Amino acid sequence: MADAPEPLVGIVVASHSAKIAEGVVELAGQMAGPEVRLIAAGGAIDGTLGTDAGKIAEAIARADAGAGVVVVADLGSAVLSAKLALDMLEPQIAARTRLSGGPLVEGAVIAAVQASIGDDVAAVVAAAEEAAHMPKDVS
Amino acid sequence: MTQSAELEVRNDVGLHARPAATFVKTAARFKAAITISNLTAGKGPVNAKSLLAVLGCGVASGHRIMVSAEGEDEEAAIAAMRTLADRGFPTDMPQN
Repeated sequence: MADAPEPLVGIVVASHSAKIAEGVVELAGQMAGPEVRLIAAGGAIDGTLGTDAGKIAEAIARADAGAGVVVVADLGSAVLSAKLALDMLEPQIAARTRLSGGPLVEGAVIAAVQASIGDDVAAVVAAAEEAAHMPKDVS
Repeated sequence: MTQSAELEVRNDVGLHARPAATFVKTAARFKAAITISNLTAGKGPVNAKSLLAVLGCGVASGHRIMVSAEGEDEEAAIAAMRTLADRGFPTDMPQN
């Protein structure tokens, strides 16, 4: 619950593009409010397009407030880098980190809002993955 | 006992994007189990504390919704949801 002092689940946005990661963090932050730790991990270490496990690991550590972290990733090798990142983290942080196979933008927004109301890491990652079926009225 | 209120959504966009997030965050302040139904579209009831579920109700501007709460703070929950609807689901609603 939002009025409890317990830590909230954090969110890491891992994208091949730093601009995409930052933009998604901005959007999800607008929806969820300032209480949730939302960290962008975009681009390769030299700033080009790509992903970097070290950058993602650092973002996970910053996003973790004690309640765990959900990582949303864009394309295949971002997921691979996120998996590598888990091996670089302290075991207790890695153990409470979940990778979402859901979409990047919708998953980050939905996850951030559910995190903001105090959902646990299992519920937040489930919501991030269900975001693949987020309704969009295109009629 | 369950408390319920039938409300009209009178903002510009219905319960999408930030207004939907505001709705969910307000519902989550209460211990009561809270559901929302879209009476106009015949959808729900669904969990009012799930953004995906609320978005799935497809609530557009002008739709009528039914909000129900069951739990120790159900009366306060319904009062808060009614106030939220009356104000058009503002995104700057204080959270506590």
